Amino acid sequence: MKQLLSVALGVLTAIGGFVDIGDLVTSGLVGSRFGLSLAWATLVGVVGICLFAEMSGRVAAVSGRATFDLVRERLGPRAGLANLAASFLITVLTFAAEVGGIALALELASSVNYLLWVPAAGLAVWLVIWRVRFSVLENVFGLLGLALVVFAVALWKLSPSWSDLAHQVLAPHNPSGEGLPTYFYYAIALFGAAMTPYEVFFFSSGGVEEHWTKRDIRTSRLNVFVGFPLGGLLSLSIAATAALVLLPRNIEVDALAQVGLPVAVAAGKLALAAAILGFVAATFGAALETGLSSGYAVAQYFGWQWGKLVRPREAARFHLVVLASTIAAVATILTTIDPIKVTEYSVVFSAVALPLTYLPILVISNDRDYMGDKVNGRVSNLLGSVFLVLVVVAAVAAIPLMLATKAGQ
Amino acid sequence: MTVAAGRVIDLHLHLLDRQVVDPDGRMVCKVDDLELELDERGRPYVTAILLGPRALGPRLGGRLGRWVAAIGERLAERDRPVSRIDFSLVTDIGSAIAVSRPRGRLDVIPLEDWVEEHVIARIPGSRHESE
Amino acid sequence: MRASDLLGREVLDRDGIRLGVVTDLRCVLDGPLRGGLCAPRVEALLVSRHRTGSLLGYDRNEQQGPWLLRVLVRLLHRRLTVVPWTVVETSQAGPLARPLALRVAAADLPAAEGRRTPG
Repeated sequence: MKQLLSVALGVLTAIGGFVDIGDLVTSGLVGSRFGLSLAWATLVGVVGICLFAEMSGRVAAVSGRATFDLVRERLGPRAGLANLAASFLITVLTFAAEVGGIALALELASSVNYLLWVPAAGLAVWLVIWRVRFSVLENVFGLLGLALVVFAVALWKLSPSWSDLAHQVLAPHNPSGEGLPTYFYYAIALFGAAMTPYEVFFFSSGGVEEHWTKRDIRTSRLNVFVGFPLGGLLSLSIAATAALVLLPRNIEVDALAQVGLPVAVAAGKLALAAAILGFVAATFGAALETGLSSGYAVAQYFGWQWGKLVRPREAARFHLVVLASTIAAVATILTTIDPIKVTEYSVVFSAVALPLTYLPILVISNDRDYMGDKVNGRVSNLLGSVFLVLVVVAAVAAIPLMLATKAGQ
Repeated sequence: MTVAAGRVIDLHLHLLDRQVVDPDGRMVCKVDDLELELDERGRPYVTAILLGPRALGPRLGGRLGRWVAAIGERLAERDRPVSRIDFSLVTDIGSAIAVSRPRGRLDVIPLEDWVEEHVIARIPGSRHESE
Repeated sequence: MRASDLLGREVLDRDGIRLGVVTDLRCVLDGPLRGGLCAPRVEALLVSRHRTGSLLGYDRNEQQGPWLLRVLVRLLHRRLTVVPWTVVETSQAGPLARPLALRVAAADLPAAEGRRTPG
């Protein structure tokens, strides 16, 4: 019974923890402009992150090594360092976006200007990383993030024509007024929002810290294959409610408030309160993950002790990096740059950085010296290769498309 | 992958850039480079693991590598040689390199000690695990 | 001497023909016993035509997937040669930038086609 509860907890946490500010903003924005005609991009991204996280989790369980540790090992110190620089910068950028997201959500809840919330949010995030137990940290925010289920409720309450929605998803078309480059730009954005590199750093590092062994592979797979797709469904609900409420009224999402508007319209004030709770939990949880991941990446490249399972004094350099990243993230948002803009950039750059960490994991999960008999099967390798091509294509196309469409105007 | 005498390994693939772990499971460092000596027949063999910026710099190569090595020179105490872990302390070559001595007694990570003493220890709560 | 002094060094055969660069050092654990393990002793150089940083492990294991990557890496490293240490001119195998010279002609060296590292 206890095991069943713990498995259920893991899955629920994975669902609630899937959505971050990138998913919130991008899904809402795409829904309000494209309806569900880009749902395929989210679906592809969800399959991708499931694949990527499963491989990383399996590698962590069998070899006891976390993702970035292996990046340097396989790519060598020079390419590994370039990889580290890019991954670290993008993780800190995402961290800044999440801190901005926390502040925006708190602004929605309190009507106090978001800038005033930023330092408090940064401090709170750092304090939780510093003092709160890893398991508590993961579970509390994951479970609270389930409040975002209210979007699915709102969708149901809007009584949409389900066949119409299905048609939009299955026969994607380009709504009037949007050019093809913009369409594909947002496809890459959705892809990058679902397949965030930091998620994998966090997932595999957590597995190593918790001393996963081969027996934990099954639980890890359950979390990934059940939790992540259901989390992806939450993202789709956000897009669908935006499509039903905002698109007909020509309201484009450029603030977090508009992402929650459909819920208020469909299900009332209490539901909106739940949505805001979900926003805070999702962004706070993601801020914790990106903060820790920035430390994981640097420490694992250089071979330093990292993690929360040892006393901070035994992982001094790791904690210093986390502290510095928190300060950098807070400072970025305090420059009064629009946090929504920061979010949009972070998801696109995530797509650009993706191949850097995906490739080493794909390679190692096939290495018998490391994995013994737990190497990738044919299906994993086939899918893995397909996604290798996809992530490279997305990475190469992202910046040109961003420049061509002026970031999706 | 455990190792017995007579086994074949490739230095770049199996030793370089691998994580070094102490008997308590603590991370020590990465294998930044390896020290080699020639035996009586002129064949090189590994005598130590080298670590730190002065070991990593040459492997990064180019201007960046020289800069990293220079930082190492600046940070190092005078006449202190490049940080090394003698190969006699290595007990296993697997997905990580295991050494027989706890990291506190290896005396190879001055930067960690410095950061610990001057930054982290000054923040309340640094003595406790938060699991 | 460091491993990094040997890795990346250019290798020329007896007639001055460039074989490639040293990408790895194949060792046997039969060196002087130090502590619990015998020291790894260099038995051969793995020389590849190109300077690609890492072989990612694909030259070692024949069956390592995925197929796409294996094919790409094999393509980049199709001229991988195993050079026994015994044929290396050791008079200058020190921390110098000059290429390593061999005592034999390239044609006399075995090519390494997907040889699996035992153990």
